[in-house]
Amino acid sequence: MHGFARYADIRLILSGGAVSAILLMALLAPWIAPHEPNDQDLLSILMPPVFAGGSAEHLLGTDSLGRDILSRLIHGARTAMTVAIFASCGAMLLGSVLACIAGYFGGRIDWAISRMVEIWLSFPPVVLSMLLIVGLGIGTDKVILAIILVDWTRFCRVLRTEVQVTRRQDYVAYARLAGFSHGRIILREVLPGVLPMIVTLFSLQMGISVVVEAILSFVSMGVPADVPAWGQMIADARIDIYSAPWGLALPILMIFVTVLSFNALGDSLNRVLDPRSSARRPV
Amino acid sequence: MKQQNVLEISGLDVSLPTGDRILSGVDLAIGGGRILGVIGESGAGKSMIGACIADTLPDALAVSAGSIEFDGLPLGSMTRATRRDLLGRDIGFIPQEPMTALNPALTIGQQFGSHLARIGFRWPKERKERTIQLLEDVHLPRSRELLSHYPHQLSGGMLQRVLIAMAFASNPKLVVADEPTTALDVTIQARVAELIARMVETHGASVLFITHDLCLAADLCDEVAVLYAGRIVESGAAETIIGSPAHPYSRCLSLATPTLSGPPRPLLTLPGTMPSALERSVMAGCELAPRCPVAEMRCHTDKPLLASTTTGHRSACHFPERVSAIQAPAEEPQAAAREPGPDVVLRAEGLAKTYIARDWIGRMRRVEALRGLDFEVREGEFVGVVGESGSGKSTLTKLILGLEDVTTGRLDAAGFAGSDRSAATLRALRAQVQLVFQDPQSALNPRRSIGSLVTQSLEVRAERPSRAARSAIARDLLAKVLLPPDVIDRFPDQLSGGQKQRVNIARALCSNPRLLVADEIVSGLDVSVQAQILELLKALREEAAISLLLISHDLAVVRHICDRTVVMFRGEIVEQGPVEEVFGNPRHDYTRALVAAAQGGTSLRKTMSQSQ
Ligand SMILES: Nc1ncnc2c1ncn2[C@@H]1O[C@H](COP(=O)(O)OP(=O)(O)O)[C@@H](O)[C@H]1O
Ligand code: SF4
Ligand SMILES: [Mg+2]
Repeated sequence: MHGFARYADIRLILSGGAVSAILLMALLAPWIAPHEPNDQDLLSILMPPVFAGGSAEHLLGTDSLGRDILSRLIHGARTAMTVAIFASCGAMLLGSVLACIAGYFGGRIDWAISRMVEIWLSFPPVVLSMLLIVGLGIGTDKVILAIILVDWTRFCRVLRTEVQVTRRQDYVAYARLAGFSHGRIILREVLPGVLPMIVTLFSLQMGISVVVEAILSFVSMGVPADVPAWGQMIADARIDIYSAPWGLALPILMIFVTVLSFNALGDSLNRVLDPRSSARRPV
Repeated sequence: MKQQNVLEISGLDVSLPTGDRILSGVDLAIGGGRILGVIGESGAGKSMIGACIADTLPDALAVSAGSIEFDGLPLGSMTRATRRDLLGRDIGFIPQEPMTALNPALTIGQQFGSHLARIGFRWPKERKERTIQLLEDVHLPRSRELLSHYPHQLSGGMLQRVLIAMAFASNPKLVVADEPTTALDVTIQARVAELIARMVETHGASVLFITHDLCLAADLCDEVAVLYAGRIVESGAAETIIGSPAHPYSRCLSLATPTLSGPPRPLLTLPGTMPSALERSVMAGCELAPRCPVAEMRCHTDKPLLASTTTGHRSACHFPERVSAIQAPAEEPQAAAREPGPDVVLRAEGLAKTYIARDWIGRMRRVEALRGLDFEVREGEFVGVVGESGSGKSTLTKLILGLEDVTTGRLDAAGFAGSDRSAATLRALRAQVQLVFQDPQSALNPRRSIGSLVTQSLEVRAERPSRAARSAIARDLLAKVLLPPDVIDRFPDQLSGGQKQRVNIARALCSNPRLLVADEIVSGLDVSVQAQILELLKALREEAAISLLLISHDLAVVRHICDRTVVMFRGEIVEQGPVEEVFGNPRHDYTRALVAAAQGGTSLRKTMSQSQ
């Protein structure tokens, strides 16, 4: 099936392109946003986007306080990406380190880490993060911390199995015989083999972090009120859903596209980086 | 009336999208109740034949010419649904890797049951009875309990028995077995092959038996087709092809196989490797020509066609009469007279190892893995350790490398007493005594380049040699194992199995060890590659004055390169001495059984040695 390989390539390019665009938007937000996100223009509130009869002054319209929606979306991307990148890196580091320790050393430490993961996983993740926020308080850094503390298990669980498989390879035994230290073996022999998996999980985690951040902002447990965030925009636009549906639809669309792009990217990276998942198994 | 063949393949071509052919013009026919062996080295295209029948060709490949008729019906013109119905019911398959062929999440009973449901057993009770009966047919003990087991709870051999039972469950007319014993523990391969032969007899099926093992094919098959570079080069009755081949390739293969009887002789090594599909496309003449010992000008320009030499025997060679002129190289005189040096590299005296195992209620149980071993390996001596799995060979390896502590007795390896366990001693010991791992696939980190792999042990030295020095060392080592210097920047996946095993050996030579411990290092290799590796080890002995402790199930291999052998049985040495003496005139019952088993039912190796 030649078509399939091409399809996978196209998916990689499309999702990679979308992700880069979102990241670029986040990075350049202060320069590309037409207005200050918190500037209120009380004379023109709840304006529709330009294609639905609005003015060119506010391309995507304004919200109930007359703030420019396009600018808020762009700055919202900055918030979302900041949270997603730091949270995903943190979850990745914490999860990977524990996974390497558990999978490589096995025995009691593996038992302890695995039980901890199981207990963690028995809580619904959103509830767990809300509980954490209640405990930690509100703030961008708190949101990041909450996501890390909830989602490291995803990395840990998947990677631990991968590390265990690698650990059983003879090249690890050889490195031990040759006198390599455990740390060195993990870094030089084990980690390169599980790196594709880490990259894939990271990409998926970016999408998940975006959703969690949006949910927390939506219930006002996320970033502070003066930081524009997509979840907050949805919450603000709720009351005017009939008179100004765009204010609600646009941030939802942004979240949707972002999550979809990261998921698709993770999927196609997995296919490209890991030869096993593309190999068709004979009967 | 001419008897209808169960399977008839004619003019089968399988091509890459570029037009390069993986298989070209393959003709095969299997009569009712016959076993046809397809033999050839890995990459010859054997699996593709099976894949064409099963309709599981890799995505990039397609049948571009020819036909496959099953029981008179052309498979190519069937609808997908009809064909699917046929597969698994009228045509059974035994896979190469039993571990990956079953779903790890379902029990044996569930998977067997759904297979039976597919082939027409309606009632669960009936299915269960039938499953148990079939599992008993393949000699699986306590088959009723097995039903609730998951695949990972069974050994490879047991899983393969389950799959054999499945393949025969529907009384198929044809069974396709693609290297069914290759992935199994070497000591049970013969038993599984025997089981297949018996199942064929009781079920009256025909079999397409794909293998790289010449001896196995000769033991098991009625007819044999030899495949080289996607083309059948010789076909005919099994005994004739093995005993008096009419194609240089078949002759070379049998001269590359070590034998257990007849005078000892060096193995013939074919130079080079089999051409790939791309290389073949531009070859005007015989695909074997660059490697063939009797090739002539004409061979490079004219493609030989498969033609009858005697009745029922066909060969694709311009000069079939020259085949008998191909001889193994003569033994070098000084090699035969070589004496091991005076120094002892490895000495065991009354060596014993006892493991303390605890069962689930905490009771202690003593497992005597090794008892009272006395043996020595001298400088430059090659010693073969033979015995079935569980006889303590691996435990011995671990003791020698200092991975386990000696319980009682003495063990001196390269001058280090087994009782000294400090980190510095261990490091020094492991520089002198190197382990060569069995499976190069698993022993070489796929993400390291060949150059970094062979010099890996230098990375932990206190004074690390410079990059340039390391690359010089790497080139040196690669030359020692006869690899071209340009592999240095490649990765293991870009090398063939034989090349990988050479890298594996080169890596062990890096620290200039005095003793190599090699665990079944040739058992997974093709015959011609095995011959190359064995001859390489011999050459290393001359050059590097190295000693070798070779652990192997293959007595012929041990006989071929070792001076002495140690026969182990249940943790004890039951016999040791010079190879010719031990295998020629075994004293202990166990050795006798081993030798008898190795000589096989049809005493193939005898036929082969007589014909030489
Ligand atoms: N998916 C694929 N795409 C292209 N070539 C392949 C593919 N799978 C196998 N081949 C080629 O087909 C040839 C025959 O392979 P195979 O039938 O597996 O050999 P054998 O079973 O004799 O070891 C090899 O040269 C291999 O490189
Ligand atoms: S045709 Fe020539 S090259 Fe080919 S096998 Fe015969 S003698 Fe060798
Ligand atoms: Mg194969």
